[in-house]
Amino acid sequence: MRGLLVMLRRSRRADHERLLDAAPDTRPTRAAPGPTGPLADLLRAAAAPARERELAGEEAAVAAFRAARQPDAAVPAARRPRHRFTAGAVVWIAGVVATATAGAALAGVGLDRAGPDTSPMVTSPTAPAPRTDDRAPTGEDTASPTGAPTDTATSVPARPPSASVPPPSASATPSPETSGYVGPGNSENTTDRAGLCRAYLAKPERQREKALRTPAFNELVVAAGGAEHVEEYCRERPGADAEPTASPGG
Amino acid sequence: MPGELDQLVSAARAGDEDAFRHLYRTLQPGLLRYLTALVGADAEDVASETWLQVARDLPTFTGGEFRAWAVTIARNRAMDHLRRQRRRPALSVPVQELSELAGDADTAERAGETLGTEAALALIASLPPREAEAVLLRAVIGLDAETAGRVLGRRAGAVRTAAHRGLRRLAVLLDQRGATPAPDDARTDTRPPRRAGLPPQAEPVDG
Repeated sequence: MRGLLVMLRRSRRADHERLLDAAPDTRPTRAAPGPTGPLADLLRAAAAPARERELAGEEAAVAAFRAARQPDAAVPAARRPRHRFTAGAVVWIAGVVATATAGAALAGVGLDRAGPDTSPMVTSPTAPAPRTDDRAPTGEDTASPTGAPTDTATSVPARPPSASVPPPSASATPSPETSGYVGPGNSENTTDRAGLCRAYLAKPERQREKALRTPAFNELVVAAGGAEHVEEYCRERPGADAEPTASPGG
Repeated sequence: MPGELDQLVSAARAGDEDAFRHLYRTLQPGLLRYLTALVGADAEDVASETWLQVARDLPTFTGGEFRAWAVTIARNRAMDHLRRQRRRPALSVPVQELSELAGDADTAERAGETLGTEAALALIASLPPREAEAVLLRAVIGLDAETAGRVLGRRAGAVRTAAHRGLRRLAVLLDQRGATPAPDDARTDTRPPRRAGLPPQAEPVDG
């Protein structure tokens, strides 16, 4: 008896698989009869051929296609430099503040460490910074269409572009630990920011606030200029979310 | 069918605009219907975001099932959208509304079909989300269970089970519909106060 039931169940499952397979295939022609019955009709209706209004976005999509194939697709990006700038400024200030305080803290450590010049690569943040700065405005909206997705987008001009600013207590400031902790200046942290954003956005609403208090998200908070700005900040990143240009296309 | 799609994809990647147009026409109806089940009335917006991204990222598409790639983008956009909206998916449609919809011109025009496309989609969207997604990806987008599983981040077996349960539920719903009076009567009797989770574009216009 049970065997019979199992068989029945299996055969119904197989029927369902057939129905599901058949539904999209019956789209173009009705020459072949296909499965019948109310369920088959329903699926067929759900997979019916396109109605005209469903294709209303065609021209917008094709325009996007065309734009993405233009050699320098950087034109619409010019719209958002101001925001870019403010974000950059916030990070810049945060960087200065953090470096200053960390410098003071480390000055003590530096004493028994003896060597101020333990960190040659971090002492010269000037070189990479302007380059990312250049790329950022163009990269924002449209550079990614041409194929370089997340990397360009994540490059916020993190370090102060001028080298003169950082060391208030010149000796110990730019040690590796500081920049590792402080975050915003560090290039490997910067590339990870889209990932952080994704991780942040993937969290359920209730956990987000708490997550921002953890060290893992500290960098995001700093980069966004405060916990309450993180969501907005992440929405703006192409790697984590869609560009707001999308909606008018409709 | 998949071979044809692959040709279109590689032509579009080479810059062929007509091929891209063709891709759009092929995939958009299914994407839009799937998205309607996920985000309701905002499906068109999410669909256009999806196409922007498809157009932009086409060069990075590395082969495989293009449908699955596009539908994954659409799904991600939809999830982002829902998070942005801070509301739950519009996946439930009161059953009475369906009787109203079933009477549309859609049905009248396609004689021999008991349900119009909108009504059928609304019925599917009334399923629990997992089941609705499984049914839509399989029957409307046309993915097989393995591919649908990849899109949903679940095993093929789980997709099959969800789709199977969904269809069983749909069969019951259809039975109930059959037992209720004709759609015209139902329309005058039980007019729903408002057409909640349904897209405003659900009027019976047909292309």
